[in-house]
Amino acid sequence: RHMVVASAAPEKIEDKVAESIKGAEEACSGDPVSGECVAAWDEVEELSATASHLRDKKKDSDPLETYCKDNPETAECRTYED
Amino acid sequence: MAVCTVYTTQSLHSTSSISTPSKTHLGFNQKKQILFYNSGKRVANRGITTVPWVIRCSGDTVVIGLAADSGCGKSTFMRRLTSVFGGAAEPPKGGNPDSNTLISDTTTVICLDDYHSLDRTGRKEKGVTALDPRANDFDLMYEQVKALKEGKAVDKPIYNHVTGLLDPPELTKPPKILVIEGLHPMFDQRVRDLLDFSIYLDISNEVKFAWKIQRDMAERGHSLESIKASIEARKPDFEAYIDPQKQYADAVIEVLPTRLIPGDNEGKILRVKLIMKEGVKYFSPVYLFDEGSTISWIPCGRKLTCSYPGIKFTYGPETYFGHEVSVLEMDGQFDRLDELIYVESHLSNLSSKFYGEVTQQMLKHSEFPGSNNGTGLFQTIVGLKIRDLYEQITASKAAAPLEATKA
Repeated sequence: RHMVVASAAPEKIEDKVAESIKGAEEACSGDPVSGECVAAWDEVEELSATASHLRDKKKDSDPLETYCKDNPETAECRTYED
Repeated sequence: MAVCTVYTTQSLHSTSSISTPSKTHLGFNQKKQILFYNSGKRVANRGITTVPWVIRCSGDTVVIGLAADSGCGKSTFMRRLTSVFGGAAEPPKGGNPDSNTLISDTTTVICLDDYHSLDRTGRKEKGVTALDPRANDFDLMYEQVKALKEGKAVDKPIYNHVTGLLDPPELTKPPKILVIEGLHPMFDQRVRDLLDFSIYLDISNEVKFAWKIQRDMAERGHSLESIKASIEARKPDFEAYIDPQKQYADAVIEVLPTRLIPGDNEGKILRVKLIMKEGVKYFSPVYLFDEGSTISWIPCGRKLTCSYPGIKFTYGPETYFGHEVSVLEMDGQFDRLDELIYVESHLSNLSSKFYGEVTQQMLKHSEFPGSNNGTGLFQTIVGLKIRDLYEQITASKAAAPLEATKA
């Protein structure tokens, strides 16, 4: 079970976002201006921002660039400045 | 007497772990001249450079503050800024994978979330948001920023955005330029006084809403209501603690909905204002055509291709929180980025090193959000202004001891 959690790390944050939204909606059902409600929505914002950062990071990464960082000596990665 | 610290760095093999820098303190007598020979041999191997030592003198770190709400494009601004100084900014090697710090040759960017005094559960228990000063440790922030400015390395905590916990600290060395970005860089007066330059990114509510829809709508669980509720819930704290900081900023970038299309609230076409404070040392505001005049300019015509709704620039003096400011505004967007050179050639005081540098910087990062409108343009200009400010401060510090010896 622990293995699953480790390999599914990127999905985890999306689950957390969904979970935190549910939590915020519940926290605000009683009193919409309580500290509890406001803090819950702040958590949603923080998690959404983090999720979007992680998404961008994933999108930006070029498979060849990633490979070349670890294997600069291979034929497809060698670059000479002159 | 200036105190310099020599950090000897071992050549960076990918296998070597973090080496503890051996420090040597050298007391400089002002009448003596000491020459450092640095045989910086370049190895033509994917840009790995071997530099035997790094010399950092106390008090020569320039500190820049950048304030903005979360999800308002701080990271894009940071990438544009570090690019002006050359070299890519990357997380510290071999440390915590969730570190918020970005390091390049000249700049280190630290995220002020690292100074949260309450972690995510702590804030929830106390019922406070991250925007609340009670959730932040301003004493530690002041001490560490001051130490870095004086050329001392610090053990800075790490706020882990994934887990919401405060992780063990990381060693942060004093850079040439330190950027502190986050919600409260200008909140505490002691920290504010350490800043050599400050910027506030002011995103209007309409645009913030539109951007968050773009960011979150695809996310599971989010709906229009949840995005709206989240913005509304954070608004009182935002207005009480974050928004008032803009009065202290040397430059404010304001992002508003366009006026070129009546009733447009999509947030795709933007009206962006660059508000520059007058009379700030080492910072001379940009101007359009004639300094101090009030001008409205539509560059579209024979020399610039514009499709609907076009582009409109305005420039003029104004007052902002009782300060005299110069305001440059761009409404609309570019269709062809290379034609930006036409606009650039009519702006003065850009602090560029060569003709066309602004356009070149924008073309280099054409895939960044905001590259075809005023956000990218003004962020790039502010980047050049910061480089100019840094160069002037460094030059004046180098001149000061010289003056002293003459006297």
